[in-house]
Amino acid sequence: MRRRRSSRLTELVLGIRMSVSGGRSGWARLALIATGIGVGVAMLLLVASLPTVLDTRATRDAARVPGTAVAERGDDTLLVKRVYSEVGTEIVVGYLLQPEGTRVPLPPGVDRSLAPGEAALSPALLRLVEAPGGEVLEGRWGERIVGTIAPDGLVGPQELWFYLGSDQLTEATATRVDGFGRGTPGGSGVADPVTLLMALVGLTGLLVPVAGFISTAVRFGGEARDRRLAAVRLVGADAATTRRIAAGETLVGALGGLVVGAVLFAVVRAVVPPLIPPSLSFHGADLRPAPVLAVLVALLVPVASVLVTRSALRHVVVEPLGVVRLSTVVRRRLWWRVALPVGGLALMVVPLVTDGRGAYVGDAQQLVLPGMALLLVGVALLLPWFVDVTVRRLRPGSVAWDLAVRRLQLESGTAVRAVSAVVVSVASLIAVHGMLGSDTGMPGLDGERFEAQVLDDRPGSDGSHWEAALAGTPGVRDVETEVRMRVQPVADGEEVPLTIGSCARFTATTGVSGCAEGDVMVVVPPGADAPAAGTEYVLGEPGSGASTWSLPATAATVEPTVADLAGAPAFLFATPEALDGAVVVPSGALYNASVTIGLDRDVPDAAEHVRTAVATIDPTAMVMINDPEATSPMIGAIRQGLLLGTLALLAVVGASLLVNVAEQLRERRRPLAVLAAFGARRRTLGVSVLYQVSIPVTIGLTLAVVVGAGASTLLQAGSGMPVNVDWAGIGFTAGGAAAVVLLATAAILPLLGRMTRPAGLQGE
Amino acid sequence: MTAVPPTPTDRTGGTAALPPSGPLLVARGLHVAFGPTVALADASIEVNPGEVLALMGPSGSGKSTLLHSLAGILRPDSGTVTYQGRDVTAMPDAERSALRRSEFGFVFQFGQLVPELTCEENVALPLRLAGVTRRQAHRTARDWLARLEVPDIADKRPGQVSGGQGQRAAVARALITRPRVVFADEPTGALDSLNGERVMQLLVAAARDTGAAVVLVTHEARVAAYSDREAVVRDGRVREQVRA
Repeated sequence: MRRRRSSRLTELVLGIRMSVSGGRSGWARLALIATGIGVGVAMLLLVASLPTVLDTRATRDAARVPGTAVAERGDDTLLVKRVYSEVGTEIVVGYLLQPEGTRVPLPPGVDRSLAPGEAALSPALLRLVEAPGGEVLEGRWGERIVGTIAPDGLVGPQELWFYLGSDQLTEATATRVDGFGRGTPGGSGVADPVTLLMALVGLTGLLVPVAGFISTAVRFGGEARDRRLAAVRLVGADAATTRRIAAGETLVGALGGLVVGAVLFAVVRAVVPPLIPPSLSFHGADLRPAPVLAVLVALLVPVASVLVTRSALRHVVVEPLGVVRLSTVVRRRLWWRVALPVGGLALMVVPLVTDGRGAYVGDAQQLVLPGMALLLVGVALLLPWFVDVTVRRLRPGSVAWDLAVRRLQLESGTAVRAVSAVVVSVASLIAVHGMLGSDTGMPGLDGERFEAQVLDDRPGSDGSHWEAALAGTPGVRDVETEVRMRVQPVADGEEVPLTIGSCARFTATTGVSGCAEGDVMVVVPPGADAPAAGTEYVLGEPGSGASTWSLPATAATVEPTVADLAGAPAFLFATPEALDGAVVVPSGALYNASVTIGLDRDVPDAAEHVRTAVATIDPTAMVMINDPEATSPMIGAIRQGLLLGTLALLAVVGASLLVNVAEQLRERRRPLAVLAAFGARRRTLGVSVLYQVSIPVTIGLTLAVVVGAGASTLLQAGSGMPVNVDWAGIGFTAGGAAAVVLLATAAILPLLGRMTRPAGLQGE
Repeated sequence: MTAVPPTPTDRTGGTAALPPSGPLLVARGLHVAFGPTVALADASIEVNPGEVLALMGPSGSGKSTLLHSLAGILRPDSGTVTYQGRDVTAMPDAERSALRRSEFGFVFQFGQLVPELTCEENVALPLRLAGVTRRQAHRTARDWLARLEVPDIADKRPGQVSGGQGQRAAVARALITRPRVVFADEPTGALDSLNGERVMQLLVAAARDTGAAVVLVTHEARVAAYSDREAVVRDGRVREQVRA
């Protein structure tokens, strides 16, 4: 028994020795395998690092969340208020800090207390301020920037974050705390269903190609290995021995791949964090694979590699005098290949049929998530059959075309394996792009006017000072103030929303025209109850000094025409003149002044000028820009993330194709040299390689577009989104993949040139 | 109609008489080294129109390197090869490719047919590379397969035919463009003696029929017996030339 085990070990070691003793060609093959597996391993390590990155980001974020509110002012308390701003489409977040004593705690990354007007910015935000054109941001975050926030106070190097000392906070507008770091890491910990769906689709789109990539890389040099095994058979090895030797050979490549993957991962760790958009930023040091997942990668990749090799050898009979391939007689069957995607499709369609639109936002996800995964994996299974069927029907053409088509007819497995990664990636990316496109395609989201809205919720502020304060700010065309509050009847009765503003705003928000200065309107959406004329209301908190005001009998009752107000309760609208000098005292969260600032698109950075001007007047005021021509910051961030993901995936796909084609050329070195000896032009051979790569890619991309667009439609309908096809996303993704194929082929041409030298016939 | 091949003993059969126009290919002072290994050292030889020249010598003597240099496959480190007065060694790659396409044909030891193409497609390939229409190229290929006595392998792939059949297809491929010179590197090396004899008979007969010269690398005397002239290559030099 012991002897038998020792003999097996010897065979394994023989395989290892054979893989490293093949001279330059052997090392080239080993390098290709290690590179191929290495790229896959690097991707797996990146995915394995996601939990750590997310955890560390959440922990760092929680460490700067102000503690729970304390009632009593003390020597160690401070008032804090979280405020938001935007620069372009990037969100900038920070806290206003107002110390109440001498021993106040400091947020992480800040080493001293900030006096009013003093600010500490994140390095990325400071770079924005100091960059050319950054003058427009001067003063937005205080009068003096006294330092930068240290890395331990930020979730990533690109994060846009600030702390600003203040003396304008009150207990009513801010929270009193005596420490930081009492937040809950990870927030609610539950992503919304649509995001979860997109994440799953994206992750499947990433992992399936990586798995395909690794399995392709493991098969590199298979023919040369089979010839070596035949030689070993000739000297007496049995079939089982050759399999163990092959396993030994594969192990070396897999272990080399682990090393290459670790090196690539280290490079990504050092290079990528500064390139990540601010909203997704993380520290390079936080990009660490979760230990369990890292061990799994280190174990499973070599094991999977050996299994793939054994599976490849199932179709090969290694005999002492040569190798017989069984693959050419095997016709690919459709029935079992179609089972997986059809099953996946069924899981996705059933909830839609039973529950209708929006069915996926709920328990149906338990069906939809595996359904989507099955559909995407199924595409990879369908592709070989599609390629098989299609290339069998292709008509003869030029020499280059015939060479490519005949090659694919004889053996399309290698080409298809490389392309299946592209197909799954593209299908999943098209699905995610489709969902995003639908998300941004909702009509009326941003209105039609380029304007800023300032929410002034300071108690007692009626917003009347904004017009004068913003006068002279570049890009400001007009300023209109609206006060929104709920008014209580003097006698018993229900509160009613009251809006005090201009007729122009009234028409813009209700769609009702015919308003004149001094008018009062009762806006009654269908199904709502109208308040009675003559009812007396208090225009603010009872006891605040607010006047009472009576709803005049002349008030017109109107029905809003904008869809947003459908189902809303009735509300009152009055122009300031109609209140006839009554004292309005808005206070509290439900009572605020809303300032609408019309912006001039022709003034560069008009929005930034307004944001900065508003911040200098009231750092707590929230500014929202409505720009019909811009995407929302959140969608922008998701799009940026998706763009990065798409590019990363396309880069992997390109690398995969490159090494795959390189390996195919290496294996076909001699036939290519013979063709060159016969005088075949390089162009003919180059075009032949291009056809050989692009025929399966074209078939695959067609399949990917159909499946991706179909899945996207189902996901849109299931998530209750408007159903539309995102042709731009399809074009971008499919076009990107096609460009990658062309680039990979172009990059391989120098190698093709070397491979097709007729001197390759020389044996010496 | 298939040409009657000469028998091995009939060394002067066919069109063995040399035309007066001078040598077709001339190699002078060829040096080729692969790293520290010198394959050719001051090798010189001439190939006359229509003759069958056998390059003989032990393994590693430089026979194949000389053949590849003559055919413009390999560019020697020094020395010249001229074809009909044109310096092949000075030609750019594209021009040498064009020369091989139009003037030369090749037969290799293992046939080296393109595995994914059928035998007919393999034979038609040089014509198609030269720009002949697909239909015409395939018609001529079928004629050549018949001429080489293997018409039934037309639709088979190289992996589905025997070594002898494959080598006949390779001979047909080499001759289909009616080249001026056929380079044959150990054309019978992978065949049994019977098949080897038949392939040589067909090769030489067809070459004589088309007027092509044949440069034949072999270390087998019975194969060299088909030649008009034998040159012995030893240590990278052409040591002796014997008119057979």
